[in-house]
Amino acid sequence: MDDQARLSVDGLEPPSGGGARRRAVQRRGRTYWTRSRKEALAAWLFILPDFVGLLIFVAVPMALSLSLGFFSVDGFGGYKFIGLANYNRMFHDPLFLESIEVTVVYVVCLVPGLYVTGLGLAMLVRQRIPWIGVWRSLFFMPYVVSLVVIALIWKVLLIDKIGFINQMLELVGFQGRSWLGDPKLALGAVLAVTIWFLMGYYMIIFLSGLQEIPREYYEAAKIDGANPWAMFTNITLPLLRPTSFFVILVSTVAAVSGSSAFDLIYVMTNGGPANSTSLAVFYIYEQAFKFNNYGYAAAMASSVVVILLAITVALFALTRGGRFHLG
Amino acid sequence: MAEIKLENSSSDQLSRAIEGISRRELLKKGGKAAAVVTVSSIFSPFFIRTARAATKTLSFWQFYAPNGASGLQSKWFVDCVAAWNATHDVKVELQYVPNNEYMNGTKLQTAFASGRGPDIFIISPGDFLRYYNGGVLTELTPHMEEEAKKDFFPNVMETRMVAGKIYGLPMEVEPMAMFYSVKAFDEAGLSEKDVPKTWDQFLEMAHKLTKGNRFGCLFETTPGYYQTFTWYPFMWQGGGDIATPDGKKSAFNSPGTVQALKFWQDTIKQNVASRNYLGGGVWDVVANLGSGYCAMQNVGIWAVSALRENAKDFQYGVFPLPVPPGGTPKSDLGGWSFVANAKGQNPEAAAKFCVWALGSMQEDSIQRVVDWCTKAKSDVSPRKSALERGTAAGGYSSAPMKMFKDEIFPTGRGEPRVPPEVYKTISDSIQACQLSGADPKKTAEQGAQQIDSFLAGYTGAPLL
Repeated sequence: MDDQARLSVDGLEPPSGGGARRRAVQRRGRTYWTRSRKEALAAWLFILPDFVGLLIFVAVPMALSLSLGFFSVDGFGGYKFIGLANYNRMFHDPLFLESIEVTVVYVVCLVPGLYVTGLGLAMLVRQRIPWIGVWRSLFFMPYVVSLVVIALIWKVLLIDKIGFINQMLELVGFQGRSWLGDPKLALGAVLAVTIWFLMGYYMIIFLSGLQEIPREYYEAAKIDGANPWAMFTNITLPLLRPTSFFVILVSTVAAVSGSSAFDLIYVMTNGGPANSTSLAVFYIYEQAFKFNNYGYAAAMASSVVVILLAITVALFALTRGGRFHLG
Repeated sequence: MAEIKLENSSSDQLSRAIEGISRRELLKKGGKAAAVVTVSSIFSPFFIRTARAATKTLSFWQFYAPNGASGLQSKWFVDCVAAWNATHDVKVELQYVPNNEYMNGTKLQTAFASGRGPDIFIISPGDFLRYYNGGVLTELTPHMEEEAKKDFFPNVMETRMVAGKIYGLPMEVEPMAMFYSVKAFDEAGLSEKDVPKTWDQFLEMAHKLTKGNRFGCLFETTPGYYQTFTWYPFMWQGGGDIATPDGKKSAFNSPGTVQALKFWQDTIKQNVASRNYLGGGVWDVVANLGSGYCAMQNVGIWAVSALRENAKDFQYGVFPLPVPPGGTPKSDLGGWSFVANAKGQNPEAAAKFCVWALGSMQEDSIQRVVDWCTKAKSDVSPRKSALERGTAAGGYSSAPMKMFKDEIFPTGRGEPRVPPEVYKTISDSIQACQLSGADPKKTAEQGAQQIDSFLAGYTGAPLL
């Protein structure tokens, strides 16, 4: 008996060609929408809003910025395709190369600085001491204040002669310095303020990592006679590797992209003195918005993105994708 | 294969067309369409230009805050626009942009980059070439009477003109000078007759005035075009310049430049000048000189009204910039101008507004300049008629204003107009010598090379 005749005998559908086709489609549909496919669809639907947001606000601007790098853009509607000229100019621009040097020093100091202070504070506020909630809040508090406000306050605190820091130094017998006016000191001063501002945030991340480590490990080590340093190096640090990876990755990206430094530098030093705090991101900003060299700025920004990608890939490769399997 | 024809199709036609294609085909075509949309959106700034409907309201961007510290100044803008709107069909609407955002931020730049720049705005000579070379400045000459053109001082107008045509009308002239604190002078046993005339005398006096928490003097230390603006007179005093008179070659590597770089460096090396400042910048006289942070401050004529309004009891004096051995007195004439956007909604009406406000021979136009320069602010008038009228009304009778008008303004040269790449080079040279201790001679040589390298490929309006 063929399919159509069987359907007719069963009385489920009139023996018409259209009905059979519809039933076949329904059957196919039932088998197509398996449980796993439905779950996959649900997952995609959940991801969709983020995906669309990232596409519109990240991917398209990135592609646009990348393409701008091949144009000479005057900032008044004039675009001229110039191929790789902007990229070529970049390698012969002493100010850009200088800004890369400043950025390297900044990253090399900031990332370990944030790691050490963040972890140090987390170890400190993990202790069972009175008013622990207050201490934690105090350390985290700078992070919730506007960066511009932070920059303005520190600018006054660090001012020559009459600033609070110099007054304190003179009180204990040291000579005051021009923290933001001396090219040898300005980057250090900006770094110190950046670390002070961000350390509370990384403290919270490390704290959550520390709280994941079972106390039994420490108790067992204590019974075996391990001292605090041995416990720190053999228990805390190894078990904090996933948190460490996250902190290093996030702080490196933040340092290279200058996301937290830009506002501080803009307000505190404006890239000076003598370009000593002109990070790559600040120089890119100057080229785009002060000199109207949007194409050149886009080319430099693209190269910073490539450097960031390379660092991220290297970090993933070094840490085997952040999984940190021991042995 | 069925084709999708969306143009002029009704919903029936559309559904018939869709029925005729398979799901795979629909996905394929949909994917292609999405790709086209994505690519075109990425390149949209290059290819898509939207036309705007003609409007009867022009936008006017400036940085004088309504009800801010400079209430008289914002009122002057409001009154000016109200008077225009009362008598013209095309209206003008004021828009306030915060000072720092206007001068150092991205507001104007992004607006022009997206084709949404203001119809009327104000610029300083330091930014003239950026906008002129970008093709957004409307020529104002056709709307001006011949008498009015002659009424403006030539040294004020030269940096606002290209090939004899006027592109900006100055509302003010702001010469630079040195302001000093009478209290600091008294404490150091000095008086008005001791004001320094030469650089050596100035340094000597700065040493005497540096005491405790006070610096003897203060010059701009923040990189940027304001710093170069304040430094130029010291270069000019010794015969130095940025470029040759035709603007085609650098003249930066000269003894005049080297000694000016060294002079500013000496003030820092000898610890008589601060590497930093209080308040908004070294233009901020109340926060620095007024607070006692320094005894002498390099600042412009606007400081007179700033002190008048915000530090009434502060006793101060003014003297012309000291000169190097064998040098000639020079000052830098800054000041902002009204300009009309050539790519705006109605460039002609915008140009007419600029001329009506500041550049007509009508009574109200001249009086407006007088009011701005002597009542709202403290400036030298850019117009001869307004300067005479302002003087007759007592606007220049106080000692500082008289000094600016009679002694400093005649030694003035218009603030140079140079492309940003050139002022960046000059600013870097000043910074390197002043704050980093670099050798002024080598720095001037390097600066000249960089300027020459830029000028070799420069095709815009001449540098002045």
